[in-house]
Amino acid sequence: MDKVKKFFKACYDGIFAGTSKNMRIALYVLFGLTALFLIFAIQILFWGLGYTDMDNNFTWGAWIIGDLGLVGLGGGAFTTGYILYIFRVDKLRPIINSTVLIGFMCYLFTFVFLLFDLGQPLRCWFGFAYPNWGKGVYPASMLTEVFFCLSFYFCILIVELIPVILEHKVLIKNKYVAAIAHYMHLLMWTMAAGGTFLSFFHQGSLGGGMWGALYAKTVWYSPHFFYMAIVAAMAGGTSFMTLIPYIASKILNKELVPMETFQLLARISGFIFIFYFVFRIFDIYKAVAVYSPMGGRAYTDMWGGYYGLWMLVLEIILFVGPLVLLNVKKYRDQEKYMVTGLACAVGAIVISKLSVLLHGFAAPNFPWKGFTAYGPTIQEWSITLGCFAVMILIYMAFVKWFPLFPHLEHDEHEAHH
Amino acid sequence: MEEKKIEVKMKRRWGMVVDLDKCTGCGKCSVACNQENNMPIFEDDSDVPKRVAFLELMKVTNDRDAKFPDVKTAYLPKMCQQCEGNNSGKHKAEPPCVSVCPAVATDVGDDGVVSQVWSRCIGCRYCQTACPYEARAFNWWKPEYDGSFKKSLNTEVSVASRGTIVKCTFCSHIWKRERDKAVAKGILDINEVSYTPACVGTCPTGAMVFGDLNDPDSEVSKLASTDRAVRLTNVIDDEKNPEKKKALLNKKQFANPKVYYLTSQSWLRDMMRFKKNS
Repeated sequence: MDKVKKFFKACYDGIFAGTSKNMRIALYVLFGLTALFLIFAIQILFWGLGYTDMDNNFTWGAWIIGDLGLVGLGGGAFTTGYILYIFRVDKLRPIINSTVLIGFMCYLFTFVFLLFDLGQPLRCWFGFAYPNWGKGVYPASMLTEVFFCLSFYFCILIVELIPVILEHKVLIKNKYVAAIAHYMHLLMWTMAAGGTFLSFFHQGSLGGGMWGALYAKTVWYSPHFFYMAIVAAMAGGTSFMTLIPYIASKILNKELVPMETFQLLARISGFIFIFYFVFRIFDIYKAVAVYSPMGGRAYTDMWGGYYGLWMLVLEIILFVGPLVLLNVKKYRDQEKYMVTGLACAVGAIVISKLSVLLHGFAAPNFPWKGFTAYGPTIQEWSITLGCFAVMILIYMAFVKWFPLFPHLEHDEHEAHH
Repeated sequence: MEEKKIEVKMKRRWGMVVDLDKCTGCGKCSVACNQENNMPIFEDDSDVPKRVAFLELMKVTNDRDAKFPDVKTAYLPKMCQQCEGNNSGKHKAEPPCVSVCPAVATDVGDDGVVSQVWSRCIGCRYCQTACPYEARAFNWWKPEYDGSFKKSLNTEVSVASRGTIVKCTFCSHIWKRERDKAVAKGILDINEVSYTPACVGTCPTGAMVFGDLNDPDSEVSKLASTDRAVRLTNVIDDEKNPEKKKALLNKKQFANPKVYYLTSQSWLRDMMRFKKNS
């Protein structure tokens, strides 16, 4: 008993010792959310999805929104990796470890959310065992592509993350570990290239193709949705990957990543956002002029209810942030404008994912039915927020104990000598 | 000795016609369907969006706020419309729900019936999302059959487990039973056998007709080709210009269901097309 007590005391000290009061409160909240997540996870896994607010009309809810958001924003990992390792933009090196970690967690929790969303979680392997292939290597179902591509890319992210763990100051003293870490770094460009290749498929399928392929549902049907989701992930993901380390450096009050790296990635994000904006306008035009009339419905009739046009308007307003603040050098050079731009960019992506899901399900399938609404239950909120809390905790742990920011280590070494 | 193989080509394409002008909205079809297909009864069955039922009797009115002389009402029994999809461009003709399943738990047979294997379903509900007719139901709770209700379960339909999708299959287990009976009598041609689903068999006004759409002499084919026939929200039917129709079909797939509704009421026809009516 004493040993157990000692163990917990050591754990508590290891986590909380030397932290400020605000940090302690934040940690308590995060651990509390994690506990709620665990409690309600048991309920959902053992007693079923009846405890959610999803129903036969609103078939998907909070967790799929989480999936779309996480995968879309996690797309910054492959974009940054590709620019660093293939285009050899070495200014991005200080941020790459953090990027890989965020990407890894985004995909990990996408799996977690997907698992919760399955009515039969124990049959999740059916997706690999009985895949719905079409002709040749083309999957008939977008979800089959999601199953395979997501798993492969997740493996790649694990490989990309291993050097970060191996470079822990205790482990790196072993010369074999050091050699492995060194050579993994040298070969990382293969992973970056492979990851980018795979990402194009699952970003397209989970983010867009999954919805665009539903030909009988006029709200969603659009063949180009697959490609738009890829651009969206590249545009929003890079902003997200800049924003998170920036927030971390503000909290820790240290320069974790040099400002010019932030600005470079913000500039890349703003640049891709121009393409995304043009694509989105084209998308709306196509929906209004071509696909809605094809399905026998008016675009404005479908955009009503609780999640109607205001979401679209908000998305367009948020577009201004990345388009102006991240592209104009005058604004980008000022921290407050840059951060506003980044936040708007992330917001625009999240709102677009929200409206795909909420609005798509709310629109009636029959003319005599009205718009429906969805209000997540405590179980759905707990599991969603709990997963985000675990993500934040993992990130904090890596910041504290692993060489997530080589730039910082470098500075501290120099300060010691 | 070489065994002689008899190959019988499937000719059947099951379809249904529902005469909405004859339907009184009594709901017998719904009751019969629930009884035949072992629908569970949940503690709170007033929670309609989570209820498991294959056949939904929908009430259609022209305008919620209409006053006495202008108000019009119809009842529309809606089950799985057994869509076929259409060949368009590079796409294979498939119902909207079949191509999306990640575990091949649903398929369309050579008799045109969209099947669902409950023990293969992983419960991702992608097919439910893809269905434009809200015809698929998910077991949000564990299906329960209390007391003596258990004894009345139909042994020909397997009881689904929690977390799987279930759907109307035009009572194809009855067809299997009829086939078995025919084989016992020595009839080996599958196309000799026909059957009646539970909802059609129980309709007191004869509003529902079931049969083979491939047989031009069947009642269902004759009724489906009349001017009164209309398919639910399948807008491609409205395109009268054959060239435009062909171009549209080449561009996009349409659900192309095998359930036809008959009505002479123009407001109801408009309603089934997302058209605002007076």
